[in-house]
Amino acid sequence: MTNIALPRRYTLPAWGLTLIVALVAELVYFSLTTRQFAGHGTGMLVLTEQFVPIGILALGAGMVILTGNIDLSAGATASLSAIVVGTELRHGVGMWGAIGIAVAAGVGFGLFNGLVVALLGIDSLLVTLATQFIATSLATSIGGESPPYGFSDMFQRIGTGLVGPIPSALLLFLVLAAITVILVSRTGFGRALTLIGYSRSAADYSGIRTRRTLVIAFTLSGLFSGIAGLVLAAYYNSARDDIGTTLLLPAITCVVLGGVDIFGGKGRIAEVVVAVFFLGFLSQGLLMSGRSSLTVTMITGILLIVALVVKLSLERQSGESLGGALRRLLSQRGFRRPARQR
Amino acid sequence: MRTDSTDDTAEPAGSGLRYDAVDISKRFSGVEVLKAVSVTFRPGEIHTLVGENGAGKSTLLKVMAGVYTPDGGSLSLGGVPQHGLTPREAQSRGVYLVPQEPRLMPDLSVAENLYVGTLPKGRLRVNVDWRAVYARADAVFAKVGLRVNPRLAAGRLSIAQQQLVECARALAHDCRVIFFDEPTSPLTAHDSQRLFELMNDLRGHDLALGFISHRLDEVEEVSDAITVLRDGRVVAEARRGELTRQELVGAMVGRSLAVTQRAAHTTTPGDVALDVQALSCPPEVNGVSLRVRAGEIVGLAGLVGSGRTEFAETVFGLRGPSAGRVLLGSRDITARSPRTCIDAGLVYLAEDRGRNGVFAEVDLSRNVTAATIGRLPRWLSTFLRPRQEQVAAQRAAERMDVRAASMELAIKALSGGNQQRALLARWVAAAPKVAIFDEPTRGVDVGAKEGIYEIIESLTRNGLATLVISSELEELVRLCDRVYAVYEGRVVGEVAGDDITLETLGQLAVGAS
Ligand SMILES: Nc1ncnc2c1ncn2[C@@H]1O[C@H](COP(=O)(O)OP(=O)(O)OP(=O)(O)O)[C@@H](O)[C@H]1O
Ligand SMILES: [Mg+2]
Repeated sequence: MTNIALPRRYTLPAWGLTLIVALVAELVYFSLTTRQFAGHGTGMLVLTEQFVPIGILALGAGMVILTGNIDLSAGATASLSAIVVGTELRHGVGMWGAIGIAVAAGVGFGLFNGLVVALLGIDSLLVTLATQFIATSLATSIGGESPPYGFSDMFQRIGTGLVGPIPSALLLFLVLAAITVILVSRTGFGRALTLIGYSRSAADYSGIRTRRTLVIAFTLSGLFSGIAGLVLAAYYNSARDDIGTTLLLPAITCVVLGGVDIFGGKGRIAEVVVAVFFLGFLSQGLLMSGRSSLTVTMITGILLIVALVVKLSLERQSGESLGGALRRLLSQRGFRRPARQR
Repeated sequence: MRTDSTDDTAEPAGSGLRYDAVDISKRFSGVEVLKAVSVTFRPGEIHTLVGENGAGKSTLLKVMAGVYTPDGGSLSLGGVPQHGLTPREAQSRGVYLVPQEPRLMPDLSVAENLYVGTLPKGRLRVNVDWRAVYARADAVFAKVGLRVNPRLAAGRLSIAQQQLVECARALAHDCRVIFFDEPTSPLTAHDSQRLFELMNDLRGHDLALGFISHRLDEVEEVSDAITVLRDGRVVAEARRGELTRQELVGAMVGRSLAVTQRAAHTTTPGDVALDVQALSCPPEVNGVSLRVRAGEIVGLAGLVGSGRTEFAETVFGLRGPSAGRVLLGSRDITARSPRTCIDAGLVYLAEDRGRNGVFAEVDLSRNVTAATIGRLPRWLSTFLRPRQEQVAAQRAAERMDVRAASMELAIKALSGGNQQRALLARWVAAAPKVAIFDEPTRGVDVGAKEGIYEIIESLTRNGLATLVISSELEELVRLCDRVYAVYEGRVVGEVAGDDITLETLGQLAVGAS
């Protein structure tokens, strides 16, 4: 009998560490160069209100991407949720009732996506592309000529309120993030999620309930989109039918920068959370130091590419050079996606 | 682009290339897998590498095909030194590796798979000449003895068919050196024989051929030269007929090994544990009835395509039956999900290891626990205990004698035979009452095979009901108390005890009762 070594008890994720170092460096840099950035110590925290909705979407999208699927409808679902909550509030429905209806709309869309993808086996790219249009048009028709605005203080506090020095939106995000991290990394559900992402067919043969897991993943993504919509409506004190749609790509960017493999399987939600803060503070810092949003977008793009190259070199097989890893990657590229069973 | 490539090229026949590997060494994470290995593949010769699982056979061929960069030593192809070889360069110089695990793209047609990257252009230069593609595919398939429609999606092929497509791919390219890494492991004796005829033909055309197999009969049959690897070193080299079977095995395992005999199974079987009644899932499965008792090893013999795998998949809930019942003990599990089957005590070791078995990128530990992790019904709230999980996985893996440096290693870094043992560990860890093993020793070396047989026997002695599907008749003879023969989705015969011989099984398998 041979001896197989068990892993060292704790291994620090190299990529997560890199992201944290980059985040700290970025915070220090902007604090030193841009006066308003640090504010009175808590200014930095208030900035997070700007990107919390992106972060919430990234949590849901991250789970879906871990299964090797994608949810293109997340942004549009957030728009719908914002419009619904706004309209209900304007119609005098109580705050909790309105929130309930809006979140239910998000959950409904997620559930629908999940059922179609899991039971009919249609590619999630197509399914969610279609539901994205449905959600958007629903939002437009509900919002009508004059989208809702001007909500109660109580409701606005979800987006702009403070709990002590901490914005309530940030608090909400942290709670959701903690739940997602635990769900994905510590439960049987999370394991099923990633194993499906690595190989759907091996997962089927191993007795993993792949359909049920997929339905839950999409439903959670819908739930998170619904919540993101609430925060958006509360923050802007109004709702437009494209209020969430523009957040989809930034959210997916966070997921990818956070090290989640776009083909599924590999990745940690905790690192996605760090990536959310890194990208969020980056764009806020750049905007505050007077850069145009065009510059911000361009810098984000460049950074993403740099980050992915660095990540690749961190992950290179031990004993293999970076050049070798790149070469192998290039020569295998074409085989990559189809080799995964769906 | 044709098989008889040497006829097409401008060079005269006899222009074969000799391929030398000199003092090749290769390390993975500091572990030396190849230690100064030198081998020469000569034109017009079939050169076989043999050795235990993990000896470094595949790694050597991958180095020579440009998949891995060696850490030391040199390669020379036709006298020309090769540095920093990539797979693409290797192919363009006529070196082709048929990999141990088929890697076809399931969504593409079989013909497209054959010509990935090199589809023949039509008259417009941008369009693909599909007629030519399909016609050529038919021609190459005929050479390897594969009868499938080239328009079929590759995902629909059985593992044996996939393996033959991989072999055909080598012919579709203009090759001077072809390496076959365990091409026969999913094939029946009949299909293997066809492949050998093809290899002989290629040898006649002055190609240099490399071959790996754990079936020593065929090694002795086809090899002009044999190199034995052990722990990454060359321990013996011989020409045809220079080594006896015992010397060969001795060199491989470093000790002498008792020749295996059919074990006398003395325990009396218990109650019926698996009772399948007229199960159908057309077109492959057409009314199969069989019973397996606790403490009994029952075999399914048959040809590739006889429907044995499809039968097992139907029992395990991966396919929906059109008729029939499956009883596990007294419980009806007809058409229940794999999860329900596993929880009820039925497991299925899948035939296609690469596609339906391993999670290639995932570590050994999580591969072993994949079937048990979702066991509890409260699975959404089931919290994982990483440490306990790893220890359990380690215990299961060591029990199956998996050779790996660490539980953290991605399973794709294990040698083929060790991956197979890890999958056995996965299913044994689920503590089954009934186990269906589909080709349980595919790609496992001679020494370890016996180990797996002993494990299966000891599990069975402790009350497991075992159903073994195998294309190796020797395996069924060695293991089984009873054997059903399956032909075109029907049970066509049954033999038990001393009547289980190579001759009777051979006849039953082809449908002659
Ligand atoms: N990418 C890799 N990373 C780490 N170790 C590896 C990698 N590839 C192979 N190894 C190790 O190298 C050794 C030799 O593996 P190899 O696949 O060459 O064996 P093999 O002789 O082909 O065995 P088998 O008969 O089981 O196919 C094994 O111990 C394996 O674990
Ligand atoms: Mg091998």
